[in-house]
Amino acid sequence: MKNGLTFFLGLFVALALSFTGIVLGSHAQLGGLAPYYDENEGKAFPERMPGLAARGQLVYQDVGCAACHTQQVRRPDFGSDKARGWGDRQSVARDYVSQASVQLGENRIGPDLANFGSRALAVDADRLTKYLYEGHEGMPGFRFLFETRKVVGERSAKALDVPAPAGSEVVPTHRAEALVAYLQSLNNVYEYPEARPVEPAAETKEGGK
Amino acid sequence: MTTASTAATTAEVTEIDASARCPLLLLIGTALLWLVVSGALALLNLVQLHTPAYAAACSVMTYGRTQAMAETTFIYGWAASAGLAVTLWILGRLGGSPLRSLNWVGAGVIFWNLGIVLALVGIATGDATSHAWLQLPRYVQPLMLVAYGAIAVPGVLAWTGRRQETTYAAQWYAVAALFLFPWLFSAAQVLLTFVPTRGVLQALVAGWYVQGAWTLWLAPLALTAAYYLVPKVQGRPVSHYEYTALGFWTLLFVGAWTGGRHLIGGPIPAWVATVAAVACALLLIHYIIVALNLRGAFHTGGSTVLRFVALGLGAYLLGGVLDAVTAIRGVAVATQFTLVSAAQTQLALSGAFTLTLFGAIYFLVPRITGQPWASLSLLRAHFYSALIGTVILVVALAAAGFIQGQDLANPDVTFASIAAHLRPWLLVATAGQAVILIGNFLLLIHLGRTVCAARHAAAPATFRPAPTMEASAS
Repeated sequence: MKNGLTFFLGLFVALALSFTGIVLGSHAQLGGLAPYYDENEGKAFPERMPGLAARGQLVYQDVGCAACHTQQVRRPDFGSDKARGWGDRQSVARDYVSQASVQLGENRIGPDLANFGSRALAVDADRLTKYLYEGHEGMPGFRFLFETRKVVGERSAKALDVPAPAGSEVVPTHRAEALVAYLQSLNNVYEYPEARPVEPAAETKEGGK
Repeated sequence: MTTASTAATTAEVTEIDASARCPLLLLIGTALLWLVVSGALALLNLVQLHTPAYAAACSVMTYGRTQAMAETTFIYGWAASAGLAVTLWILGRLGGSPLRSLNWVGAGVIFWNLGIVLALVGIATGDATSHAWLQLPRYVQPLMLVAYGAIAVPGVLAWTGRRQETTYAAQWYAVAALFLFPWLFSAAQVLLTFVPTRGVLQALVAGWYVQGAWTLWLAPLALTAAYYLVPKVQGRPVSHYEYTALGFWTLLFVGAWTGGRHLIGGPIPAWVATVAAVACALLLIHYIIVALNLRGAFHTGGSTVLRFVALGLGAYLLGGVLDAVTAIRGVAVATQFTLVSAAQTQLALSGAFTLTLFGAIYFLVPRITGQPWASLSLLRAHFYSALIGTVILVVALAAAGFIQGQDLANPDVTFASIAAHLRPWLLVATAGQAVILIGNFLLLIHLGRTVCAARHAAAPATFRPAPTMEASAS
């Protein structure tokens, strides 16, 4: 390797090729992906996140929830995702098109949350909020998202049903409320055309790829 | 263990080494300092993994944040600084003239470390990007890029101003790492932070960056050291040198394509994961050639430098094989989303990269300070704690990950019982991390003592007799 310029060009081409292949290639395939408009329902999916939920996503990101929770369901014949009730179909790229910051996650210390909003726990906001305060099944409580304050006049309607010093109450901060709203908004059950064929194939052909 | 020289001669401690003393010691010193900080954070993180309530009430120390902080200090604090120090020095040596423009290194180091401190504060207060290996908050990223450029200047000058036209494998890897990282880093910054791509493309870019940062930056930095040290310490040329270029270009062209292996079965185009699996298999060519070239390292002949390099090399080769195996879909279904990936990352970072770099630091410091390592017992203690700690950490994490994979596959096992099953192994992993931390702290102290001794040495260091230059264990 005597020629410095050729060597340098080689380096450049090596990096440029992988960039072109992985980044530009998948961008060409997915970059134009738009929400799917369902004429029967009269709206597009995935639905846009409500403002409070979008702020909750920032809380999810900054606290580092993605270190323990994934948000990607694998197809029914690949792992136990469906059996664990995390989703009936696999996650597809379109599920994420309206998210500002995608939190796929790499480790399942806790359950997958891609469709958390459709589970009973998410519907019961009080219980979910309490779990975030006290911790649940190995998840620690995130008490810094809550405020313990003196009861002035009437007890707050938002006050948690948890032990607190006499004359005090524990109330969720704005960040905790946003996080709860975000977790409730996670719900990718709509069946897009590209998400449909996967499951029947899995049923007819056991263990098929 | 005895003190016996391998290949250090008086003529070796040249002007090239003496002139670079201050900037390189600064880089190595800060690198080791960050390594200890990162080790302490990783220890805290592991404690939180088996005892989740530990320090959880403190917002700056959630599990996610300590993980991001430990990773950031490791990669940008320790790995980048140590790798750059060793690479600059080797480029200077092989270039045949003293390193020029070293003031750039001094300025770069200051801003680089300032950037890491800012990043730590940022992550602790919630500004992490949530992309693995690129948790640096957005306001720090451009600063880090500029600081990196400044530190790399003498390396570029040593390459362009080299005396010989013929180049060595160590130089290829060094130049590849120096040049490719800024491209990779800036592309990832733009596509993830400043003009973020949409949807799952973010995960694809992040995967490309992580794999690129390993195969085009950190691994080449470690290979630079290995390809320089093994023939140098043994006094024998690299065996089967004719294949070295093939091994080099295989790593460069194929490496970054393996990024999709973590996304198998994920919401991405299926071809990305398939290409990643094929790339992992192709990359085995690179690993075979590296093994063929550097197998001499395993005949350490009692040299501490070679012992570390051999361990690092072993971890590198094992890591390559494991990457290829876990990229197979049938295996990935069990290992994906488990601590097996954490074990693989530790095998690469704490094993392959760090152990090789320790070897390089043990070789380099006596030559730039003109002073042998101060204490043989400290050296020995560090070697064994690094070896034992790394093995325990990687094995325990892998075992925990394996159990986690089995449990996750069974929908009847709750997360509370998975945590209970993992706990014994996580306690072992924590012990391993603690042993590593103690060893690294000893190395930091040892470096401090050696540098102090060099400053107080009455006679000019260059006249010190050669056999004491390098402490070797047998």
